[in-house]
This record gives sequence, C-alpha cells and structure tokens, in this order.
Amino acid sequence: MRFINLFIILYVCSIGMTVSAQTWVVPDDQKTVVAPFLFTPEMQKQGEQIYLKNCQSCHGLMGKDNWAKLTPPPGDLSKELAQKQPDGELFYRITVGKAPMPEFRNILSEDERWWVIAYMRSYNPKYIQPNPATKASFAGRIVTLDMKYDDLGKKVVVTANEELKDGQSVHAAGVEVALFVKRFFGKLQVGELKTTNDKGLAIFEFPADLPGNKEGYVEVSAMVNDPKNIMKTTGAIATLAIGKPTDMPSLTEGRAWWATRGKAPVWIILTYTLSVIIVWGFIFYIVYSILKIRKVKKINL
Amino acid sequence: MTMDDNQFTFDKITSDLTHHIRINKGFLIWMGFLTVSLMVCLYAYSIQLRTGLGVAGIRDYVTWGMYLANFVFFVAASLIGMLISAVLGLIGMKWLTPITRIAETIAVAFAAVAGLVIVSDMGRPERLVYVFLYGRPQSPILWDVTVITTYLVLSLLLLFLPLIADMAIIHRKVDRLPSWLKPIYKVLSLNFTDNPQQNKIINRAIRTLLILLIPAALSIHTVTSWLFAVTSRAGWDSTVFGPYFVSGAFVAGSAAVIIAMFFFRKNYKLQNYLTDLHFNNMGKVLATVSLVYLYFNINEFLVPGYKLKRADAVHLHELFAGKDTLLFWVVQIGGLILPILFMLFHRFRKPLPIMLISVAVLIAAWFKRYIIVIPTQEHPFLPIQHVPQNFVHYSPTLIETMITIAPFILVLIIITLISKFFPVIPLHETAREKGIEHFKFD
Amino acid sequence: MDDNNTPHSPDESEDQKNSTRRNFLKNLGLAGVGVATGAAALYSGHIFEAKKEVSGDQKVLLTQDGKLVQVDSLEIKALEKTGEELLISQGREGIPGRRWVLVIDLSKCRNARKCISACQDAHQLRPEQYHVNVLQMKDAPGTAPYNMPKHCQHCDNPPCVSVCPVDATYKRPDGIVLIDNDRCIGCRFCMAACPYSARIFNWIEPKDAASHQGKDYNVELNVPQKLGTISKCLFSADRLREGKLPYCVEACPNGVYYFGDENEDAVTNGTTKETVRLSKLLRDNGGYQLMPELGTKPRVYYLPPKNRLFPFEEAGDATPEKA
Repeated sequence: MRFINLFIILYVCSIGMTVSAQTWVVPDDQKTVVAPFLFTPEMQKQGEQIYLKNCQSCHGLMGKDNWAKLTPPPGDLSKELAQKQPDGELFYRITVGKAPMPEFRNILSEDERWWVIAYMRSYNPKYIQPNPATKASFAGRIVTLDMKYDDLGKKVVVTANEELKDGQSVHAAGVEVALFVKRFFGKLQVGELKTTNDKGLAIFEFPADLPGNKEGYVEVSAMVNDPKNIMKTTGAIATLAIGKPTDMPSLTEGRAWWATRGKAPVWIILTYTLSVIIVWGFIFYIVYSILKIRKVKKINL
Repeated sequence: MTMDDNQFTFDKITSDLTHHIRINKGFLIWMGFLTVSLMVCLYAYSIQLRTGLGVAGIRDYVTWGMYLANFVFFVAASLIGMLISAVLGLIGMKWLTPITRIAETIAVAFAAVAGLVIVSDMGRPERLVYVFLYGRPQSPILWDVTVITTYLVLSLLLLFLPLIADMAIIHRKVDRLPSWLKPIYKVLSLNFTDNPQQNKIINRAIRTLLILLIPAALSIHTVTSWLFAVTSRAGWDSTVFGPYFVSGAFVAGSAAVIIAMFFFRKNYKLQNYLTDLHFNNMGKVLATVSLVYLYFNINEFLVPGYKLKRADAVHLHELFAGKDTLLFWVVQIGGLILPILFMLFHRFRKPLPIMLISVAVLIAAWFKRYIIVIPTQEHPFLPIQHVPQNFVHYSPTLIETMITIAPFILVLIIITLISKFFPVIPLHETAREKGIEHFKFD
Repeated sequence: MDDNNTPHSPDESEDQKNSTRRNFLKNLGLAGVGVATGAAALYSGHIFEAKKEVSGDQKVLLTQDGKLVQVDSLEIKALEKTGEELLISQGREGIPGRRWVLVIDLSKCRNARKCISACQDAHQLRPEQYHVNVLQMKDAPGTAPYNMPKHCQHCDNPPCVSVCPVDATYKRPDGIVLIDNDRCIGCRFCMAACPYSARIFNWIEPKDAASHQGKDYNVELNVPQKLGTISKCLFSADRLREGKLPYCVEACPNGVYYFGDENEDAVTNGTTKETVRLSKLLRDNGGYQLMPELGTKPRVYYLPPKNRLFPFEEAGDATPEKA
C-alpha cells in the first residue's frame, strides 16, 4: 500500500515537473545571441573538461544516453532535443538554469559557457556555426571591468568601462557587478551585488577573515551581473594578498591514539616495549637456568 | 582421607600416579573419536577459508559473533592456571598440590587454542603475520596478541618445571613403559638427580614464574575485556569490564578444573589423591569467585539501569525483558545464582554434585560471553535500516557452529595427550608432602 | 587539470587516471627506498661533476647501504612511482593544505536515495552495502520524523583508527579516514569501535569481482573491493584529486549536500554548484554534529530539518534481499 502511494505521488510529481519543464521558454531576443568567437578544437577540449566536471553527473556522457534518472529528465545533450536549439537558447539555459538544473552564471564565465556549447556541437556533424558576434555588429553595451585593491580603505575597487560605437571608452554607470573569490570547487561571492556609480566604480568591502593561502593571496574576480544577457562583458581577475594568511597544520600532526604506528604517543611505545623486554628477559633467564640443570654435577650425599 | 599418610610409600605413589601412562583401547577410541570430529570441523573451516566469513551468520551490524564469544571464553578458561598455582599457591595452600598440574594443563590447552580461535574470526587469516610486521602499539589487539603469547609461554614453563623431577623418577623407576617413551622422558628429565642445587634452580624458577604469571594472566583477560570496553557502545562502555571479565574467568576456570578433576579421578583411579576434601575446597573456591562475579554483575547492570541513558535503556530492556530475556535469565540464575546457593551446602560440594554444578556453570559461562558480545551490536546508536533481515538479527549458521566447536575438540585432545603421557598429579611434590624426603637416584 | 580526456566510460577513466598521474611530483620521503637509490646514484654523479649549478640548499639523504649523504636540492629528482605503488603512496599522503568538510542540509533531504546509488556504482558495492545510507529518524515521541543521510563522519579523533592493529585504516593530513584493503586483516575491531555504524565488510565475494580482477587497486576508491576486508565512505578521495565533488554530493537532486575545504571556509552545493562560506552556513542554520558528546570530532556537519516543505514518506521499499 505504502509503496503504491509513493508511486502515485512520484508519478504526479513527475507529470507536474514535466509540464513545468515544457514551459521553460527562452526569450526570443536571447535565442539569436551568438558566440563572440569561432569554436576551435582547443575550445572544445576545454569545454569537455568543464562538461565532465559540471554537467556529466546529470546529463551523463555524450552519446551514451546514461543521464541521471531525474524529473524532468536531463537528456543526452548530443541528441536532437538539445542540438536543434540555437546557440543562444543553449547559452541562456546554461546561464540562468531552472531547478533542478543549476544556474551557471556565477559558476562559469561567459567564455566557459560558450566552450561547453562548442563541445556539445562537436557531436553534431550538421552544425554550422553562425558568424560570431563582432563588437561592431553587437547592438547592446560592451562593458569591460578593471579591478584594483585600495590598500588604505581595505576595499576592492572595480571600474566598469564601456566601449562606445565610435571606439571611445567611457566610465559605465549603472552596471551591476559581483565580486568572487576562487575556492576549491567553485567561486564564492563576496558581499552583495553593487551597481557602478557615475564614475563607473563599484566598491567592495573585502571581509578581513576570508582565508587566503599562506601569504594571504586569493584569486579575486569581478563579473558583470547581466541576467537578461543583453550586454557583452569582460570580467576582471587578479591574485591579491588580501585574504587572511592561512597555514593550518595538517590534521595528522602530533602523536595520538589514532595516529600511525610511527606517531604513537611516546609513553605507549615505552610502556609496551619495556614491559615486553622485562617479561621476556625473565622468560629467557628462566629457560637459561633450566638448561643449567643438566650441567649440575652429581653430588654424592 | 581413606588412607593414613604413612601408608604411602614411594613405590606406591609412583605406581598409583603413573599406571595410567599406557596406550590402551579406551584411549585409542577416545582419540579416534576426537580426531574424526576435528576433521569434520576443519572441513567446515576450509569452506570458510575458500568463500569468506559470509558462511557465518555475522554481518555488518553484528560483526563479532560466536567466534569472538568463543575467544573470550577460551581466554577466560585459561586464566585458572594463574589462580590455582600463583595466587593460591603463593599464599601457601598445601591442599592444592594435586590440582596444580590439572589447572596448568587446562591453562596451556585453552591459551594455546585461544590464539587459533581468533584466527578463525579473521577475514584475512593469511595476513596474521601483519600483526607482527605492522603492529600498532596503540591497538588492544597488539596487546592481546602479546600477552596471550607471553601467558602461554609462562604456563608451558610452569607446566614443565615440576615435571622435570617426575620425568627423572619415571624413567628410572617405572619399567613397564613403552620403549619409545623412555628416551623422551630421559631427555625431559634434564639429568635431574634430586640434587639440592638442581632443586634450588627449579624452585627459584618456579617462584619467578608464579610472580610473573599474576600480571600476565590479569593482563590477558583485562586486555580482552578492553576489546569491548574501549568502544563507546552501550553494554561495553564500562570501567569495571576488566575485573568483571577476570572474576568471570575464575568462575569458568574453576568449573573446568572441577570437571577435569572428577574425570581424572574416576578414569585414572586417583581417589586416594583427589579426595572429597579437594572437591569440597574447590567447591568453596568456585562459590567464592562466583560471589565476586555476582558482585560485578550487580555493578554492571544496576548502575546503567539506574540512569537509563538512551542506548543503555534499550540494551538493558532487551536483556531483562526483550529479545534476549530467556538466555539472559537462564544464564544469570542457572549459571550463577542457583550454583552459589547450592554450593553453600556441604553435601553439594561432594564430587558428583559439585561436578554437575560445574558443568552447568561452565555451559552458562559460554553463553554469558555470547550475551556480552552479541546483543550490544544488535542495537547500535543509529537505527539499522534498509538492510536484509539477516543483518538485523544475528543467527549462527551450521558451518559457524562447527568452527566454534572445533577449538573445544582441540582442547580435549591437548588435555588428553598431556594427561595421558605425564602424571596428572605431581609425583615428586606429592611424595615430598607425604614425608618421603629423599629419593634414591643412582 | 588533465587535458587528454576524450569521452569514455567511468571504468576506462580509472585506467586513464593512472597514466595521466605519472607526472605527479612526489614529496621526498627521506627514508623512501626509491629516493635512496636515486640519491646514491646522484651522489656518485655529484662527485664527478662537483662544479655544477648549486642552489646552496643541501639535503641529507640516506643511501641504500646506510650512508648519509649530502646532496644539493637542485640535483634531487624524485623517482617516478607508477601504478598501485603511486596510488597507495598518494592515498596515504592526501591533498596538501586541505581539510575536507561535508555539510548535510536535513531540511532538503526527501530520501531520493540518488546519493546511495551513485556511491554504490562508483565503489563496486552490493545494494545492501552502504557507504552512505539515508536513515529515517525520529528523535523524540513529540518531534517530527526526518531523513538523515549518514556517511562516515571522518572524525578528527577516529575511534576506528585508534583500534586498528596494523595501520590498515588511517587518517590523512587532509582529514579523510581511508582503508588500505591490501593491509586489512579483517578483524573488524574498527566496525565495533565506530559509534556511527559507518563501516561495512566484504563478507562474500565483492560484486562483479571477476570484471574487476587484475585492475590496479586504488586506495582512494577501495576498488577493486577485496573479500574479507573493510570498506566505508571515503569522501570520494579519488574525485577530490581531480577537483571534482564527491559522487554522492554531485548526484543529489535536492541540494542536500555541501562539500568543501574548511581551510578555505567555503563549501559548494553539489546540486546548485553554489559556493558559500562554511562558517556563515553553519552559523545561520544552526549547524551541528552527530553525537559530539562522544568526542569523536566529526568532519561532517548537519543543518537541522526545519521548515520542511514536503511530507515525510516512510521508506519501506528500499530494503534489499538477504545476502
């Protein structure tokens, strides 16, 4: 009975989620977005690495149909359902996500997202890449970030510059900027989103207690937050000595009950060894004295 | 006593205590039966060697089963050598003389086999040598291996030293021995001629051994108890586990000695040497150690039962009124409380009744180890879920039972062989105590 | 990290990993026999070519015949280890500078059991063998039931490691408690000592033993599994070496797991891939540890099962057959 109930619940849920999956509509203006560069084999290789790390756990290996049994089904991205979508649609889905698919906006840079698409397309022999978007042909804002650290104020200062149609560069106001610190498995966002002021500046307080390496170095990156994907942006990245210098000892330092034999507490080694030596010393002495019995000369009483 | 002391002559004592040293039909049938049984059980072990520990009923939650209960029992039974010879011997209890060799034989047999029992519980027995190659001094298993080896060697020496004089007497005075045995006895007698210097060496060695034996014996069972007590599991996490195990070991060992005394007395016709007095006294010893054990039992159950911490409450409930109730109460009442009550009366300390009581105590002692080892693992801190039923409840398999019986057969074989080829009762010492001061060695 | 990967099955990737790691530079152990041999060879070369570039940094090495020699650090080259030897030694050393930590958000667990199947597939486990099991818990009569994924807690005071007689199970500098199945004697003392019932044993021939025969044993994966020895959760040490999240963490569809490095104060959610500060996550959500009163100092944290937005389903269907 319980099993049947569970089954019904799961079934209803799956229908509901399938329906919601079908309603994942990509805005028309996003569908026409194209990559800023021509895909190269090198990019496909990079894309594969990113795919294996971030996508494979759900979508499975390309062409193997071994995607995870989730609702809605993630599907094999080498197959038609995925490949018939234009690049812009794929880019949008990777960027914004929709539960349970993660949003990769803050996890992968724009270039990295395009590399994944480059990798996906390598499984589609019919694919012909549209002409890359050149700066000239791009209608939206073209924003480049620059970053530096203000030692006095202990702040990270991000400058947004905008390239105008005539090739002039001006400070970009009203651009949303997010600051990240690289960690082992991903990027950690520092503070809230900031909007650049009239001078194109977004200023971030950097937390004093965020661990860096031994010397306090952390890899900091700034990215434009562009949820509607209407800008063409280039982030900034720098390794700065602004983290808390962190050199934690290894967890196996010192002697302990649970340490390896070589790191046993000294008193245990001594107690054990001494006890064995003393007791077995007596034993060998006794055996030795027993052997002496044979040699005792007979004494006639 | 049935005879006055002055009726014992040296020749009579020698003949009384050595006339069983011969190969007769009864011995061959008995050994044949033991050997065949052992072979059957070893076949069961060969199946386990080939296919893995999965042939036993143990699984991921009850991971230590009968094999480990058996190991604890064997270590326990071996402890008696130390109680009889060292503790009681050192405080000068003369009546013990005829019992010491029986106790030492039991100690040697059980200690030697205990080492094999633990090998039968290993998933990778061929890696036993790793314990010596990579042994960690922090692990109670290394301590256990060390102290059991030490105790076995000490017990063997203690068995051998008083035998030197006996061997000298036998190979000189007993003529009817099979010819192939005589040279062996001669070698083992180490040219002993009852020379004072030789006696001095032997006595000194024995005294040293007895003193060493006390810490070694305490260690083997204390360390064995620590295999459990160093974990944080309900029912094992106890500070009195050492003395609890040691006192329990004395109970099991004393019972084993009484049973052995009874059968040696009957089969080897030793009524003049193992008298009602010895049974009466051993009954008193058993009653005393049982009372001490009862005291620790009360500690072990009353204290956690008073607080009823979550895991302890489950554990105690299972024992007192749950799944393990029947076994628990049969063992506690039938194997501890009733025997103590009976043994208060003189008439129950006569040879036959005290032997029957000892059999009950010894069987209960084995099941007591079962109760200590298994129920604790059936209710760990976190619930047992999403596993097959045989992971949840432990039930031993046939192969496992046979592998558990094998060590008992081996112990019987060892005891039989030692008692068959050597005097069960120390010859030289007995003669001394009967006032025969000096033997005429040529 | 590695750049020669092409699409392949997980099994093939095992073999590939070994070859791509050939270049892995080893830390020098002074007593390592391999290094000693190398040092002896280098020393003889050193005498003949005394006027070479010198860093000024002198290292003392023990040669095979027991001599101590001084060699300039620039001249020392680690001898390459390959195959199982490399897997064993890197598996003992861990990943330097890390302190792995797992955070489990109980409010999100709906007992999907995807973590379990991903884990069992990766580690060659039968259905009844769990490195991670999802338990249905109810703490007190009046409190609500909840699902609790239970891994090895990778304790900083691990009772299982304390009792091991042969150094078969050990704690690494990066916090992971591992098992060397080539060393394990199968005494199961560690299972008895673990209060979390985290350890399992290969009572019978491991699953698919025939197809795993002859493969290099990877101590960070416990594959091939070995009859008569212990296994348990390894925090997917093999995946961490590649910079990937553990199998279970990646497989969770409900965002239950966060995994990361305590030294970086950051954990990454396996479902959303979002990286958050560990200290803030624990502070804001009332993070706690399992049975901390036992003093085991677990490396796994739990976030309490509050504000659950879905009903608790009793899982009566997940019990495998007799084994």
